[in-house]
Amino acid sequence: MLLRGLTWLVLFQLLGTALNHLFLSVLPGPIIGLVLLLLYLMVRGQVSEPLSLAANSLLRYLPLLLVPPAVGVMVYAAEIAKDFWAIVGSLVVSVLVSQVLVGWLMQRLVTRQRRREGQA
Amino acid sequence: MTLDWQGAAQSVIHHPLFGIGITLGAYQVVLAGYEKTRWTFLQPVLLSMLLLIGVLTFCGISYDEYRQSTQILGTLLGPATVALAVPLFLNLRRIRQLFWPVLTTLVVGGVFATGLCLALGTWFGTDHMILMTMAPKSVTSPIAMLVAQQIGGVAALAAVFVLITGVIGGIFGPALLNRVGVRHAAARGMALGLTAHAVGTSVALQESEETGAFAALAMSLMGVGTAVFLPLAVSLSV
Repeated sequence: MLLRGLTWLVLFQLLGTALNHLFLSVLPGPIIGLVLLLLYLMVRGQVSEPLSLAANSLLRYLPLLLVPPAVGVMVYAAEIAKDFWAIVGSLVVSVLVSQVLVGWLMQRLVTRQRRREGQA
Repeated sequence: MTLDWQGAAQSVIHHPLFGIGITLGAYQVVLAGYEKTRWTFLQPVLLSMLLLIGVLTFCGISYDEYRQSTQILGTLLGPATVALAVPLFLNLRRIRQLFWPVLTTLVVGGVFATGLCLALGTWFGTDHMILMTMAPKSVTSPIAMLVAQQIGGVAALAAVFVLITGVIGGIFGPALLNRVGVRHAAARGMALGLTAHAVGTSVALQESEETGAFAALAMSLMGVGTAVFLPLAVSLSV
């Protein structure tokens, strides 16, 4: 079961890699694979048992898979130190301001839709 | 007879399995600590990374050697990224009625979050390389790493910027949203998931199931949206 699901995931990733090479060099292969799988699921209308099993198992260990690439930061210590405050400043300010904007906008749109539905 | 301790230590340290061994070890130690305390700022990836950098420096292993020995984990990251389509599909099905509010908020908020970070970065005078790495910071790490690399940034740094963003958003987000009077569960979820991805989503799940569902949806939509449109936007503007 698990293996069948994994095979599907690998297949979509490889398909993405091929398309990336042929037409869409702007988009990374796994991303194309993700979009293709999403389209496939929308057409089918449901997630098959093996696929959901494989996806869940793999995504549970996603943080672990991310550790080795993150360790690569040690190579860039000098670049980070140089721009440290600019980086932290941009990240902190932009996340907090966008959070407020997104929350406020969504709340407005939802209440407006509710009100309109109430009228109709 | 004297035993060659030094030689034994060297052959252990430079064995191809050593990198995987310390990665698995560090991750489990950190995960156990995180599960006990549940402090948002103890993000397992961030702490494992610090721990591993310490171990590698101590043992005198270069990053290149470490990367080669953990290559198998990196290879699995591709299918794991593809697998993100499954939760996205399940989330999409759940929120049909709020389709337009969600889509509008996603487009406006997503462009704003990315644009503001780039504007601030330019204003503070950061390198182009750092700037391109910061652009996908509101997106879940596997996608952010791919996108950053694609547009001229650095995958490793992107993973860390993403985590910093997530931790800040996750810790201060709920209080900030209370402050500005955002009480609706869907709105809080969108705000947390769109800007602070997985960390925000886990915080949102603690508030309520509905908040969590919207956070998960916002996170995956923002991820796919950024993955598709940011490289296109960058390739058109250069």
